[in-house]
Order: sequence, then C-alpha cells, then structure tokens
Amino acid sequence: MQTHRQRITRRKFLQGSAAVVATFTIVPRHVLGGQGNTAPSESVGGALIGVGGRGPGTFNEMKELNPAKLAQCDVRWLDRADNKTTYTDFRRVLERKDIDVVAIATPPHWHALISIAAMEAGKDVLCEKPMTRFIAEGRAVAEAEKRYGRIFQVGTFGRFGASRDRNNILTRKIMKSGLLKNCPAAHIIRGGFKVKEWSGLVNAKPQPVPPSLDWNLYVGPSPMKPFHPHRIGGTHRGYWDYEGGGLADMGQHFLDPFTWTYGKDDTAPVEIEAHAPPAHHDAVGMWGWVELKYADGLTLVFDSGEWGERYDRKTSRGVSLNDLPEEDQKKIAEMPDPEPLRTFAEAVRTRKPAGGNAEAAYRTVTLMHLANIAIRMGRKIRFDPIKEVILGDEEANRLVNQPMRAPWHI
Amino acid sequence: MATTKPDIAALVDQMPETDKEIAAKQKPDPDKPEPPDRKRRPDNYGGASKFTGPDPETANKIFAEILAGGKESILELIALLRDPSDADFKNYKAGYVLHGLALSVGGAGKERQRRLFAETLAAQLGSDKLSKAVKGFLIRELQVAGGQEAVGSLGRYLLDEELGEYAVQALLAIREGAAPQVRKALATAKGTHRSALVQALGVLRDSESVAVLKKALGDEGREVRLAAAWALANLGDASSADALLKSADAAEGWERVQQTKACLVLAEKLLAAGKKSEAVRIYRHLQDTRTDSSEQHVRDVALRALQSAR
Repeated sequence: MQTHRQRITRRKFLQGSAAVVATFTIVPRHVLGGQGNTAPSESVGGALIGVGGRGPGTFNEMKELNPAKLAQCDVRWLDRADNKTTYTDFRRVLERKDIDVVAIATPPHWHALISIAAMEAGKDVLCEKPMTRFIAEGRAVAEAEKRYGRIFQVGTFGRFGASRDRNNILTRKIMKSGLLKNCPAAHIIRGGFKVKEWSGLVNAKPQPVPPSLDWNLYVGPSPMKPFHPHRIGGTHRGYWDYEGGGLADMGQHFLDPFTWTYGKDDTAPVEIEAHAPPAHHDAVGMWGWVELKYADGLTLVFDSGEWGERYDRKTSRGVSLNDLPEEDQKKIAEMPDPEPLRTFAEAVRTRKPAGGNAEAAYRTVTLMHLANIAIRMGRKIRFDPIKEVILGDEEANRLVNQPMRAPWHI
Repeated sequence: MATTKPDIAALVDQMPETDKEIAAKQKPDPDKPEPPDRKRRPDNYGGASKFTGPDPETANKIFAEILAGGKESILELIALLRDPSDADFKNYKAGYVLHGLALSVGGAGKERQRRLFAETLAAQLGSDKLSKAVKGFLIRELQVAGGQEAVGSLGRYLLDEELGEYAVQALLAIREGAAPQVRKALATAKGTHRSALVQALGVLRDSESVAVLKKALGDEGREVRLAAAWALANLGDASSADALLKSADAAEGWERVQQTKACLVLAEKLLAAGKKSEAVRIYRHLQDTRTDSSEQHVRDVALRALQSAR
C-alpha cells in the first residue's frame, strides 16, 4: 500500500483510479489517458493560486501526487504575468484542461470562491486555512465538493495526528456512541491566537496602489476600500474584509483536532458568548475569551490571554469511560475504531473524501466565525446548527452570509 | 423633566488612544534599551496604529448616552465623521463610536432605537455637507443596522459611481423591500452596475424579474450574462431551462463552466421542487453534450443525478 510519504506517479495515479472508473469516471479523462486520450506526462498537472508566504508550502502539501507545477497565479504580478505559466486571474488558470489539482494560498476572502470554481472546472483542491471568511461560504464549498464529486482538503492536518491517538479515539467513540447524554467536557485553549499581532490598523490613510497589483481582483468579493499596504501581504489578517484576525488564522490549527476528537464534524455550537471590547468596523481588534456551548453540553473555550480577565467559568475536563455506566462502557469497548483518515493524495487516488474534506473542515472554521461574530456583536448569540442561522439577532445573522461584491457570489 | 444635552465631541474623545500615541508619550527607560529587532520593517503607515479598545462597560455607557440624546445627538456624531483621506481627519474615534451605536441598537428589544438610528443615517445620505467617503461609511453602517426604513434612500445610490456597490450590499443585507429598488435601478443601469444589479436580483430570488433576467442572458457583457444565468438558476424557474442550456452550450472557457453550473443548479432546484421531468431533461442534455474530456465531471454529475432520480 502506498504510504502518504511516497510520491505518486501519474501511472500509479491512473492505476489507483481504474477501479473507480468502473462505476463513475470521476477522474478527468486527460488525467487517465485511455482510448482517445493520451496521458501527457508521468505527473499530475498542478497549479498554485496565491504565491505569497504560504503558497509554495501549500503546493508542496500535494507532493505525494508528484504534481507538475504548470501554472502560478498571483494578483501582484501585473508586471510579469504571461498567461502561459504565470497569471494574475485565477479564472484563466482554471480554464486550462491540463490542470488536475489546484493549491490555493490566497488570503481567505478568496478561499471559498476559488475552491468552488476549481471544483466546477473539474479540479481537486487543497486549500490553505482558514477555509472560509464567513459561515455560508463553508456550506457552499461542501455543496460543490458533493455536486462535482471532487476532492477537497483544507491545509491543516492536526486532525490526522489526533485520529491516531488512542485517547482521542476513545473520546470520539464515546461522543459518537450517543450514550453520553450530557457531555461534561470543557475544552479550553489558552493563548496562541496572536490577537494583537494579527489585529488591524486604525487611522490608516489611503495610499497609491502599487503598479504591479491588481487591487480590484485582490479585493474581489469583499467591499472595495482604498489601498493601504497593511491590507495585503499577511497583515491582511487584521481586517474583517479579508480574514478574522489571529483567531481565524490560528483557530483551524487548534480546532481541527478538536472537532474530530469530539465528533463535531457534523454540527456546531448553539450558544456563543464573548468577552471583548466593542469591535471596530474595519480593523480586527482585541478580545479576551469566547465560550461556545454545544447542545449536548460540551463547552469549548478560547482564552486569548491578551486582553481582559482570564476565563474562569469552567476548568478543563475531557470525557472518559467513567462518565458512563458499566454496561455502556462495554458497548464502547466493542465499537470498532474509526477508519483512518485519507490524505489528499489517497483521496485523489481512491476518489473517497479526504480527512480534511469540506464538510468536516467547514464545521471547524464555523467555530472561529461564530466566535468572531460574538466578539463583533458584544452580546451572546444563539445558533441553529441545522438551518445555520443566528436566532433572534438580525444584525448578527447578517454576518453568517455576507453580501459579495459583484461579479462574485456563492 | 429636563435632560442634559450630551457633549458628543467630549464623549467621542473618551475613546482610547492608539498604541502608537501611547508609546509616543512614554519616556524611554534608560535601564531598558530597546532590543534590536531584525525583523522590524520600516514604518510606512504614518499615523496608523493598532489599538486596544475601551473597557466595554465604559464604552456601552457612552453609546447609551448618545442614543438617549436622540436624533440630534446622532446627527452631531455624524457631523464629526471624517474619512482618513480627508485633510481634516483627526482619528478613528467618531467612526468607531458610530459603529458602536449600530451594534448597540441591534440588541433585543431595541427596535425603536434601531429605527431612529437607521432613519437618521439614511436621511443624511442626501446631505450636501458630507463627503462621498463619509456617505459610504454611513451606507456600510446601514448594512449593519438598517431595515426597510432605509431601502428608499439606499435605492437612490444604486447607480452612483462610488457608492453603488455599497448600496447594493446594504440592500442585500436588509433584503426586505430591496427588490423593487434594484429592479427600478436596473432599467437604466450600464456596465458594472448592470451585472451587480442582475446578480442582486438572483440573491433576492426576485420572481418578478424572470423576464428581465432571461433578456439579460443575451447581454453583450459577459458578467451580465453570467449573473443572469446564475440568478435564473437560483430562482429555480423551469421556464428558463432551454435558455440556460442554449447559453451554456454556446459558451466557452470560464463562461461555459459557469453557465453549465447554472444548469446544474437549476436542475437541482427543479428536482427539489418535485419537477422531475424538467430536471431529467437538463441532466440528459448535459450528459449528451458534454463530450470533451475536460467535462467528464459534468457528465458524471448528470449520471449520478439521473440514477438517483429513477
């Protein structure tokens, strides 16, 4: 069996796909070769969209597929794009028939739209975290993944490590068994959110757009604002228009193992409360802590340690077999272990969902978005995890599915 | 009972200084020389800075005091607003406080305050004393807290070169009463305004716009055509199926992918609405016509849908 460390040649990639083709030919024909189609090379065609700090690393996450980097795209390349191997407009990249897999490392306000567009064009996607900028985008990516039968993997891999840990496996079994009616666990994450580091500037005066930057395309679906250098190049994290501060940036790392371990890949908290100063309309700012409660009682807490008082409502606590009566403990012991999570390459080869697939990853990123909405509102919010709406608070609900600047939409 | 009129400028000034301002006032400690920071970049940000934010309790009292002053106090606050690009811009504080009010009036049981706030902002959009940039800020705050009372004022800005996009987004957030404003503006819209308004009708799922949207499928602008196809699909209008398929078949590249997506979305909507035969017709058409290897995934979508629809 291939290990995830090994590189996959196009020939092996094709062999791995053959069994799947018998039912549905999901892998593009130009990838498979076959009658009337010649596989053009031994490697899968790859593209990187967003070539900033994380770009090369994100592309490298696909190395098991041995992708040939046929195209790179960045909105800062007006001075060098040749529309052959270098591009500024991702749409031109996605039109190419020789590209099978796309790595996306743009700022997050583009993640969902480019992921969806890539899957619509028949590509598989590995997308940098955080997966989305607001909650409804996550649902849209998951729908595209399902509709087009494409592979999506978010660029955080903490859940893979968590899924191999015996304690985490036991916790997942207990939670998934449905035997624990009221979950007493409190999962508290203290520090590491880079709140001040990734907050935005106030009093920033507009500056001229650099000649090599396509500012209109950079802004894309977000509200058009005057250019300022702090709005690009990593510090974009400090603006609600593009990300959601250190919480959005770091959260998917911390929370992806949490959602897997506690079996929360298919739901969301129902009550969220934050301790923070009033939010700025444009710049992401400070916050102290956020408490998120699930319907079963499970509590998740982010304590930034950077503002206000320390969270002290609860203390950290997991779940154990001792939380169940003896007969239920036996049932847990009889439960099979969960299936190992598939890497992106394994998922591409087998056409089965990757470990960090869109449906699971968007439930993780929803946690950060809900926390940020509570921070921005300054009041407790209630969320319906099925309808995915905030209840009884129209202002807060407007942040769940934010209008996009045309021509962009989900 | 006589009430004391709040001093708005003084209340606004109570917002905290920025980190840079605070640091500038601190005297360097000779015992603690600043450590060399190799990663430090030159400061190209002028007076821009991060800030820590006020104590929530203090800030909320200030917001409440301003709101208690009614329309006059809100107007006074609006008069203090300056855009950072304005020569007389001082600091972030007035805008921050106005946003604080927008958030305050959104809580439960505050509908009367919210309405007054939104009406006051909406009325100021017609002021000739405010710059376009400040009006843009007011529109974005109406996107936060505005309701039906603001749609008429926002509708008047849909075709404004600088404020049109903000107005569309605010109306889409408000939704209620937005469609007639969008329809009216679309009648004379051109260029990017046109595609934004067509898209907005799709977001609003405005069933009264089907005819207009079908016509827009043949528009000379690519973005208008794409927006129209998506809008019709989003509406789930069965009568649009042939027009959508025809547009998609004729399109190439990015446009073909997007037009095809519109067909698939329409088929899904029709299936969900119980219109199976119309949906099956779309899927069969896509299965028969998407013969290029690069469109294999579309054939697969159609095949799966047809199998599950049996």
